[in-house]
Amino acid sequence: MPNYMLFLHQDLERPRPAAPDDFMPMIKEYAEWADKMRSAGHMKGGEKLADDAGRVIRHKGGRITVTDGPYAESKELVGGYFVLSAKDYDEVCQLAESCPHLKFGGRIEIRQIEGMANG
Amino acid sequence: MADANLLVDDLFRREAGRISAWLARLLGPGRLALIEDAVQDAFGAALARWPIDGIPGRPAAWLAVAARNKALDGLRREVKLDQFDESAAWRLGFSNPEETGGLDDTLALMFVACHPALERDEQTMLTLQTVCGFSVREIARAYLSTPEAVTQRLVRAKRKIRELGLAFEIPGASQMEARLPALIEAVYLLFNGGYTSGAGADLIACELCAEALRLATLLTAHPATATGECHALAALVCFHHARAGARTGDTGALILLERQDRAMWDHNLIRRGCEHLRDAMTSRELTAIHLEAAIASVHAAAQSFEETDWAMLSRHYSMLEELKPTPVVRLNAAIALAHADSPAAGLARLDALDGARKLANYALYHSARGDLLLKLGRAHDAAAAFSRALGCELNDAERTHLEGRLQSCVMPLS
Repeated sequence: MPNYMLFLHQDLERPRPAAPDDFMPMIKEYAEWADKMRSAGHMKGGEKLADDAGRVIRHKGGRITVTDGPYAESKELVGGYFVLSAKDYDEVCQLAESCPHLKFGGRIEIRQIEGMANG
Repeated sequence: MADANLLVDDLFRREAGRISAWLARLLGPGRLALIEDAVQDAFGAALARWPIDGIPGRPAAWLAVAARNKALDGLRREVKLDQFDESAAWRLGFSNPEETGGLDDTLALMFVACHPALERDEQTMLTLQTVCGFSVREIARAYLSTPEAVTQRLVRAKRKIRELGLAFEIPGASQMEARLPALIEAVYLLFNGGYTSGAGADLIACELCAEALRLATLLTAHPATATGECHALAALVCFHHARAGARTGDTGALILLERQDRAMWDHNLIRRGCEHLRDAMTSRELTAIHLEAAIASVHAAAQSFEETDWAMLSRHYSMLEELKPTPVVRLNAAIALAHADSPAAGLARLDALDGARKLANYALYHSARGDLLLKLGRAHDAAAAFSRALGCELNDAERTHLEGRLQSCVMPLS
C-alpha cells in the first residue's frame, strides 16, 4: 500500500485557543486520532513542526543564499505532518476526514509518496 | 479479578521504566516528578479499569497511551504555575506510544539519574525508581530506610535535576570517561545491595540482582557504553546471579558456596558471564571489577568446591587487595589463602586484620575465623568466634547457619 503525506496547513489569522486550558483538549484530540490510525495500521509517522518562518536556501547567481521561509509574511503555515498508508486517494481522504485538524479550522493537503509500485 | 492485578504488577516492573524513559525524552528530565506521577496514575487506571472492561489486547501500549494522556493533564496543571510549555504538549500529542523502551532513552535516563551533581544514594534510589520501576516502599525496604526518608531524597534529587536543567542525552565520547563510572557504581551498588541484603527482604534482594543484571547487560549493548569495565561488571553480575537459586534452601536457610548443589547453578548465565569476561579483556586497564569478575569466574568454573583453583583465586585476591584494600577484600584474600596454603596461614592473616575496626561488627569475619579454628581443632576458640558472629547484624538465613556452626563446636561432627 502506498504512503501519503498529510500536510497540516493552518490559518494564522484564525484565532487560536487563547487559554492553554482550552489548548490541551485540542492536543489530546490529535493524539487520540493518531492512536486510532495507529491501531488500524495506517499511521506511519508524524510530527509537529515549529511555529516559525523556517528558512529557504537556494542557489542564486553562483552562490548559496539563505532567506526567511515563505511563512514569514504568509497568512498560513504547515504546522505539522502525518504519514498514512492507504489503498488509494479515496481511502486516505476518507481517513483524513476524521482528523481533528479540519475541525480546528485547518486545511490538509495530501500527496502520495513515490514508492515501490507494488509496495 | 486477580488476573488483572497480577498482570498489572508484572507489567509495572517491565513497562514503568520504559514508559518513563520515553516520556523523559519528550518532556525533558526536568519533569521527572510529573512523569513519575503520570506513570503511577496510568497503572492505577489499569487496576481500576481492567477488572471491569477486560484486559486490552495490547496492555503495554494501553499503558503508554494512558501515561501520555496523564502527562498531558500534568502539563495542563503547570498552566496554573504560569509555565505552560506548548512545544512539550505538542511533542506529546504527536508522540508514538509504541516507541517506548528504546535503548537510547533508557541509557539517557540512567545518565540523568546518575548525574555527578547528585549524591551517591540519590543516584541509586533515582535509578531504582525511574529506570527500574521500584516503588518508594520497595526502595525503602532495599535500603533499610523509611518511605518518608526515601521520598524526601527523591524529591530533592528531582529538584536538583530541574534546577540544573540537565539534558536528556547519552554523553559524547569526550565526556564519557568522566560520566560512565557513576553508572557502573550505581549498578554495582544495586547488585551488592541485592547480593548481601542486610536483614530479611529476600524477594527484594533477588529483584535488585535481576535489575543489576538487566542494567549491566544494557550498558554492554550500546556502543557508547560497551567498555571493558562494563563487560566485567556484566560478567560479575552474571556469575553471582547464576548461583541465586542455589544460595538458599527450601526453608530459606543460607547455603554457603561449599555446600551448594552446583547442578542448580544457571549454566546459561555462567556462559553469558564467560562471554562478557572475554570482552572485558579488551579494556586498556585492569579494574577492581575485572578482578572481582575473574574471581567469580574461578568459582563458577569449578566442578566442586574441592576442585576450586584456590591458587588462582589467591593470586586474583592479592591483586584485588592492591587496587581495593578494603577490610572485606582483605578478609576474602585471607580466606583464599587459607584454602590455597593452609588454615594456619589464613588464620594468621585474619588475626593480623583484627585491628580493622570495620570488621569487628562483620559477621563473616568472625565466622571465617571460627571455620579455620575448628579446622585446626581449637573448638573452644571457634565457639567464641561464632558467638561473636551471632552478635553482628544478620539476616535470618545467616543466623540459622551460624547457630548450626556454633552447635558443631560444642559437639564436633565426626
